Amino acid sequence: MDETTTGRILIDSTGSPCPGPITDLALAYRRSKVGDLLELWATDPGIRTDVRAWAAKTGNEILSISDSDGKIVVVIRIAKR
Amino acid sequence: MQKKLLIIGGGSAGTILANSLDRRDFEISVVSSSFGHLFQPALLYVAFTNVKSHIVRDERSLLPPHVNLIHDQITAVDLNEQRATSANGAVFPYDYLVIATGMRTDTSQIPGLSEINEKYGDYHSSIARAQRLWKRLDSFPGGTIALGQGSPIIKCPPSPLEGIFLTDELLRKKGLRDKSRLIFFTPFPRAYSASPMNEIVEPLLQEHGIEVLTFFDLDHIDPATNTLYSIEGDKIECDLPIVIPPFKGAEIEYLPVDVVDPDNFVITDKETLRVKGTFNAFAVGDASNLPTSKAGVGTHLQAKVVAKTLSGHPAKFDGRTSCPFDLGNGRGVFVNGSYEAPVTKARPTRTNHLMKMAFERIYWSSLRGRLDPVMDAYFALTRPRPASKEQEPASTNV
Ligand SMILES: Cc1cc2nc3c(=O)[nH]c(=O)nc-3n(C[C@H](O)[C@H](O)[C@H](O)COP(=O)(O)OP(=O)(O)OC[C@H]3O[C@@H](n4cnc5c(N)ncnc54)[C@H](O)[C@@H]3O)c2cc1C
Repeated sequence: MDETTTGRILIDSTGSPCPGPITDLALAYRRSKVGDLLELWATDPGIRTDVRAWAAKTGNEILSISDSDGKIVVVIRIAKR
Repeated sequence: MQKKLLIIGGGSAGTILANSLDRRDFEISVVSSSFGHLFQPALLYVAFTNVKSHIVRDERSLLPPHVNLIHDQITAVDLNEQRATSANGAVFPYDYLVIATGMRTDTSQIPGLSEINEKYGDYHSSIARAQRLWKRLDSFPGGTIALGQGSPIIKCPPSPLEGIFLTDELLRKKGLRDKSRLIFFTPFPRAYSASPMNEIVEPLLQEHGIEVLTFFDLDHIDPATNTLYSIEGDKIECDLPIVIPPFKGAEIEYLPVDVVDPDNFVITDKETLRVKGTFNAFAVGDASNLPTSKAGVGTHLQAKVVAKTLSGHPAKFDGRTSCPFDLGNGRGVFVNGSYEAPVTKARPTRTNHLMKMAFERIYWSSLRGRLDPVMDAYFALTRPRPASKEQEPASTNV
């Protein structure tokens, strides 16, 4: 997990199979605060479903889910902590 | 000339590695902060079935005589200067370093957890804690039991569910199941983190009347009322909380500082097992941040990969795991996976349960390399098939 200058927290889970990405997201969520932007990178397609279920459950907001060349990028705004 | 190899940790990984190298090539020192080597999977049976067998052996007895075993705690490692320093002030220079420090439970991450685990015990910390949990379970008169992991990082991923299945079995045997409610909580979206195995497990949980609370990421506990609160805003009230504590890597200060993640796991190349930015330092077993299960089989195979590489035959770790999973009531299943191959559904059988029971005897011999041909044959026979392009890659975090 890297903290970038823009205040985004980058979580690089590329190459990590399920449940790697959702594990990394849950760990980052533990360390986050309201207002943080989490940017999750993953290659495991299962993350699409898992992250939607996670956001619905936790009350956080998915700003975007994009996919290029198999790399899935999910941007989340922490609204509830 | 012999090369100086320093292994930090005398657990599974350190012991297997020290037994796998040619003494003519290496002067091997193992620095370990423990004296006894604990067969950790047995903690499950100490806590849930009151097993009393001999599950600790002297670390010295598991190492060849030429290996220098030092009981001390490493507090600092300077990867640039190639030396480690201990709590006693001893300095260990090395040509090659292997970090095999495992991981340890850390109750401080969850307010209220120290009190709860002190009172009720747990089955991932120590024999004493596991025995305490057995006492609580044995004298449980009926009521609500909540069991789950306190953080997403877990040693032996099937172990939380094994705990709830064995609790169910125990209460049935005692005729207390009708008077008890069992709640399994997990930070993951489903009861078992890897989907294909979850398809096996979920019907069993239903069949046994075990309630499942997903996305329950433990935030804090009120020890006065045994109430567990999640980050997601849910709560569980219970009579007996069984909480697997969060884990973290050994408390060692590294130079450069960026070779460990926030939980002190060593950042390691997932194939070569080299520590980030180094050529002569490796991490094996639970100590690393590899995207694979923290479990014994991976640990075994990683130690063998590093042994080959150090012996001049560069090898790669394929992420292989193979976890025996006790489903209670005499049934078990093996969870196989690798970086490239999905965990597939496997049928629970009685044979798998018996294999898990025979695990302890195999374990001690396997540490010393005595079963290498048998183990190699087993791994080859059970090698998981890589996912086809269309298939979703599944988990190796079994
Ligand atoms: C309840 C339970 C059930 C399990 N079931 C299974 C199972 O069914 N199948 C399976 O494959 N695995 C299972 N495991 C997991 C397995 O036991 C571990 O993955 C394995 O032991 C990891 O080996 P390791 O060498 O990395 O760490 P460990 O065996 O924990 O060894 C770590 C060593 O490092 C030493 N050390 C730590 N810090 C320092 C320091 N600073 N200085 C010097 N020495 C240090 C310790 O003293 C110890 O000797 C289970 C574990 C538990 C708790």
